[in-house]
Amino acid sequence: MTARFAQGWLLPIALIATWQAVGSTVQNPRMPLPSKVVTAFLRMIADGDLPMAIAQSLSRVFMGFMVAASIAIPLGLAMGHVRAIERNVDPLVESFRPVAAIAILPLAILWFGTGTGAAVLIVAYAAFFPIIINTVAGAKRINPTLLQAAATMGLTRMRTIRTVVVPAALPSIGVGLRIGMGVAWTAIVAAELAVGAKAGGGGSGGIGQMMFVFYAYSIELNRIIVCMIGVGIVALLLDRLIRWALRAAMPWTAR
Amino acid sequence: MTRLRIDHATKSFPAANGKETVAVHDVTLDVAQGEFLVIVGPSGCGKTTVLNMLAGLQLPTSGSVILDDKPIAGPGPERGVMFQDYALFPWCTVSGNIEFGLRHGPAGAKLDATARRERVRHYVDLVGLVGSEEKYPHQLSGGMRQRVALARLMAIEPAVLLMDEPLAALDAQTRLILQDELLRIWGQDRPATERRTVVFITHAIDEAVFLADRIAVMTTHPGRIKEVIDVNLPRARNDATRALPEFQALTQHIWQSIRDEAYRATVA
Amino acid sequence: MRTTRTRSVLIYLRTMALFLAAWALAAWWKDKPVLLPSPLAAIEAFVELAGGMELFEHAGISLARLLLSLALASALAIPLGLAMGLRPTLDRVVDPTVELLRPISGIAWIPLALFIFGIGNALPVFIMTYAAFFPILLGTIAAVRTVDARLVDAARTMGVPRRGIVTHVVMPAALPSLLVALRLGVASAWTAVVAAELIGAPSGLGYAIEWYRELLMTPQVMAFIAMIGILGYLCDRAVRELSVALTPWAPESAASR
Repeated sequence: MTARFAQGWLLPIALIATWQAVGSTVQNPRMPLPSKVVTAFLRMIADGDLPMAIAQSLSRVFMGFMVAASIAIPLGLAMGHVRAIERNVDPLVESFRPVAAIAILPLAILWFGTGTGAAVLIVAYAAFFPIIINTVAGAKRINPTLLQAAATMGLTRMRTIRTVVVPAALPSIGVGLRIGMGVAWTAIVAAELAVGAKAGGGGSGGIGQMMFVFYAYSIELNRIIVCMIGVGIVALLLDRLIRWALRAAMPWTAR
Repeated sequence: MTRLRIDHATKSFPAANGKETVAVHDVTLDVAQGEFLVIVGPSGCGKTTVLNMLAGLQLPTSGSVILDDKPIAGPGPERGVMFQDYALFPWCTVSGNIEFGLRHGPAGAKLDATARRERVRHYVDLVGLVGSEEKYPHQLSGGMRQRVALARLMAIEPAVLLMDEPLAALDAQTRLILQDELLRIWGQDRPATERRTVVFITHAIDEAVFLADRIAVMTTHPGRIKEVIDVNLPRARNDATRALPEFQALTQHIWQSIRDEAYRATVA
Repeated sequence: MRTTRTRSVLIYLRTMALFLAAWALAAWWKDKPVLLPSPLAAIEAFVELAGGMELFEHAGISLARLLLSLALASALAIPLGLAMGLRPTLDRVVDPTVELLRPISGIAWIPLALFIFGIGNALPVFIMTYAAFFPILLGTIAAVRTVDARLVDAARTMGVPRRGIVTHVVMPAALPSLLVALRLGVASAWTAVVAAELIGAPSGLGYAIEWYRELLMTPQVMAFIAMIGILGYLCDRAVRELSVALTPWAPESAASR
């Protein structure tokens, strides 16, 4: 067991060590090194820059995510349950799905400026599609015999939806929420990055924008790398968080 | 003349709690040339493990498997296998599947393309699939898939045919038809020297009695051979055979032999 | 059969017509053409850009980048995925590194990549290749792993040597799932193209969107957004058709939507 664990770390450690060794020989003072990345990381934590930027981005993600879920889940359940609704709404969903959230950004900036409003819109748009697609699939995939069983027990339509359709669709909805969260986080970083690129040093804040500032203004590659790692770590943590929340909400699923 | 022999073979697996699970214990069987040997037993008695060892897909923990006086150490075309779920290659047509072992394995090494095609045609005809050569497995019924699997197995002309519950996935009526077909294809009315050697696994007792020259009855916990019975019913076997009193007697005898074990398997 | 097909087309048209009507109403009520142009203006802009070839020029550039990055990503990810799927030891060594890098989205690489490549063609291709790499790699590994062990056993009992098993059993068996992984890679790369071009390229659809936004020519912005959507759909469709053509035996292709 420990051998396996060690095997996994072999490659990353080797790569980092090579990076440090080879990078140290490079003359350019701007060359990023693992050691400098670590110092930059500590500095950014101490200054409070990094936590604040992440907090800002996270608040936007949560806001946008909530907006997306509160529209996508009810609509998706309706679509999955009532064929007519699906037939009429699906063309719109499928037409906009291939348009990435970031493509909407210029419109969002036009409408809301470079602040939080545009960011939340982008996040909501991005998270909307995985959530609704998986919700529809979950509602459709319900074993019809479950519905028949409910009918033979005399349940009303509304109650059936609440007590049978929703729990049965929950695993699929969960998958949609997980994917949606991942997409939301990528979208906010992209949006803040793009806004940072256009709005310059001021503007929205958040980790994406901070990254761009380090590129365009202070050219601190080590700090950029700290931000990149931060993006990765937050992505992992968000995924864990959602998985934990879903497991708590669905005690009946295996594992 | 013994073709295939499994000699005091034991197969055990390390279990999760550190101990060992013994799947089969001290199994010895001789299979004669041209014989149709059936292994029958309740679920979990290890009959598939025995077959896997004969095939070389699993190696015995102790003991050995010997083909024509040579011990075996792995799978090979001399011991062809027909699997329970047919294991047909979904991307190959019927003829593609049948030709597969000849094309990519040593069995067809000496054949050129024309010779291969000829052999495929022969077996397609033998199993009764003429006209379906270009179909894909997903377009075939269960019975047809089974025929493809059989033709694929026979095309490499193995010394021994090993069949793992090949009719289990079929409905009862198709099963009866294919039992007849199997005996016909095997050549039940030919002398033993001209027939292929078959080891056949099933859990259906009536099927075992209908097909076999000899039956090895296995029991569970651990899997071992309880007894070996000669089936003296006349060949060629057909529907009338099933009505014979000897048939009923044999079926009853075997059932009584494994009945308790089978019961325990359902409540354990 | 044809009646249901015509029916779904009609419903599609009806929904889109309602959408356009709602849009037109909102645009008329808001009365700020810079913020929300009427659908007519957007369509006019689209036609004009198409006629002047500008639409297709940028589309062509973005597509070319997509194809190049898919080729690169596949060339790297598929052999590696095959090897990792077939050899658990290799998987154990490489997988943790993959899992560490994967959460760092392609987008997060843009600033660093800008520093290395500068603004130009290389940047979007790099970002898109990175974005497509992970879905294709992980999908390939899964495709290899989920090959029915029985099929491998069947080939072994026919005496097929290991090399033959990889070429004639594992690869064909993994192909359907591999093509699904490719679809995901396309989607990933196409999402990344916009961000990459918006920030770091002098051409392409993402660049065009930003260009027209700065000029406050919103109908043109919408036209290019629509083009992104259309091409995204067509690319996905293309891979699905490819799947059907390459894997006629897979029942999924027969029922492909």
